[in-house]
Amino acid sequence: MSLQVDQLSWGHPVPGGSWRQLFRNFDFQSPSGQFTVVIGSNGSGKSTFLNLLAGTLRCSSGSIRLNDKPLQRLSDHRRARRIGRVMQNPLEGTCPGLTIAENLRLAEGRRRSAIGWRGLSGVHPNRADRRRYRELLQDLGLPMADRIDTLVGQLSGGQRQTISLVMATLGQPQMLLLDEHTAALDPKAEANVMALTDRLVRQLGTTTLMVTHSLDQALRFGDRLVMLHEGRLLGDWSARERQHLTPDDLRRMYGSANATTES
Amino acid sequence: MLSLWLGAYDQGLAYASLALGTYLTLRVLNFADLTVDGSFALGGGTAAVLITQGVPIPLALLAALVLGGLAGSVTALIHTRLGVNDLFAGILTTTGLYTITLRVMGRSNIPITDITPVVNWPTLGQGDDGRWAVALTCVMVGMVCLLALILATDFGLALRAIGNNPTMARANAINQGLGLTLGIAAANALVAIAGGLVAIYQGFADVTMGIGSLILGLGMVIIGESVLRPRSVPVAMLAAVIGAILFRLMIAIALQLGLEPVDLKLTTAVLLLAAMSLGHIKLPGVNADGQEAASEPDASADSPGAMAGTGGEVEGEPTPGERP
Repeated sequence: MSLQVDQLSWGHPVPGGSWRQLFRNFDFQSPSGQFTVVIGSNGSGKSTFLNLLAGTLRCSSGSIRLNDKPLQRLSDHRRARRIGRVMQNPLEGTCPGLTIAENLRLAEGRRRSAIGWRGLSGVHPNRADRRRYRELLQDLGLPMADRIDTLVGQLSGGQRQTISLVMATLGQPQMLLLDEHTAALDPKAEANVMALTDRLVRQLGTTTLMVTHSLDQALRFGDRLVMLHEGRLLGDWSARERQHLTPDDLRRMYGSANATTES
Repeated sequence: MLSLWLGAYDQGLAYASLALGTYLTLRVLNFADLTVDGSFALGGGTAAVLITQGVPIPLALLAALVLGGLAGSVTALIHTRLGVNDLFAGILTTTGLYTITLRVMGRSNIPITDITPVVNWPTLGQGDDGRWAVALTCVMVGMVCLLALILATDFGLALRAIGNNPTMARANAINQGLGLTLGIAAANALVAIAGGLVAIYQGFADVTMGIGSLILGLGMVIIGESVLRPRSVPVAMLAAVIGAILFRLMIAIALQLGLEPVDLKLTTAVLLLAAMSLGHIKLPGVNADGQEAASEPDASADSPGAMAGTGGEVEGEPTPGERP
């Protein structure tokens, strides 16, 4: 599903009574199935951009179209049916008081309307659902496959983020938004989650945007790398062009962009 | 002595749907709903008015259920549509409900004298107390089974997700506004039935009978949880019913021991405080589930192929199993 963002504008009030216009007539396109990595310094608008796409923030003007269908008029929950999200905080993406199977069931049913008559159609997750989830986790090589009835609150941060990632890919999402989803993890968990991310994104073929602060991730993953600064695209590289970049190049760009802003 | 036990059992079951309603709002939806105080009296008043006019008990309770549900949905709509804080939304509705209940009742107190039973329940040789016990047991078993079944569906799962993690619920396309509205309406419908049953059992309805209902329901839920330590939704609901019975039993014993009725409210408050404190008293080396505390909370995180634990991220989480 292709993503088309046209003339997007969004701003917010800042202390002192003034207004900061972060995005001004911002354009962005991503062809169907493209895995885009978004980098930029703090306050550059990376997470805000993802929130605008997800609908947790509303743009003041402009249009967001997913596969030529406008998103911005849809209510939060209708938009969420089309979008899989993984948040930065492992505590936000899952329900700690529900089991792994129950969390997966919620994500799988994203396209159904659970709050309604259809939600009363049977007991879930039932035995067949559990078997399916166990097989899914086994196929992904995840040890949680044997702990499908464990409360998610009993898992470590890395494990919760893994479940959150699997959940985001369930229910046939048309777009996947990953917001610094490895930021709170230790290096080993980060490596595992990133390996799984790459595998799931390739398997699913969904248009994906991943925000990260890790230059290592930025140079290793995805089909495209973009750098945001003050709500503008400062750099845009294909996977081939990215091969010629080094972490130092990116750091220099961060530095010069920030220096320009401050001056 | 048997009549004391049976009387407490009957009263406990009459109050049980108040405990179930409170469980639904506070434990499942994580919503502090003060509408309960108003919908309990509304249920009692509605049932009393209809029964004194010759309406059969089931229909009178059905009317109480509908009005209680409407009261709950008003609170939910104030909260979800107008963005008013949950406590204020409940207080606003309860304040309005006082007038509505008075209007429904026509006066502040209605005695219920003539009751025509629809079903001739067996007395078990215990007169009216036995008949009440059989009737209320059947009603509560049916109610708990129905609620447990609903909460085990995708609909119930979505309600539990809304209470457990609203951010996650939103991200998974759950219509939070509609879910809260239906959940709070159902909870207040249950509370209104409790009001109706209590009014019929005690033989009168009073416009002030709902005061303190929320805290009473919460106390019953906590007492039940302290006894059963539930790890699943059906057991948690059973715990709420058992908590209601135990609470009424404690009150009956206190009265039997010579407590004067004028001291009843203070005794109730002390009993509830004791029940609520139970959750905070922990023995050294023993966790909230009564098991010996493990030194490593998540050993499997270090198993081959498993993700490494980050430890810090899970701090501050509710103890697993604490909130089913």
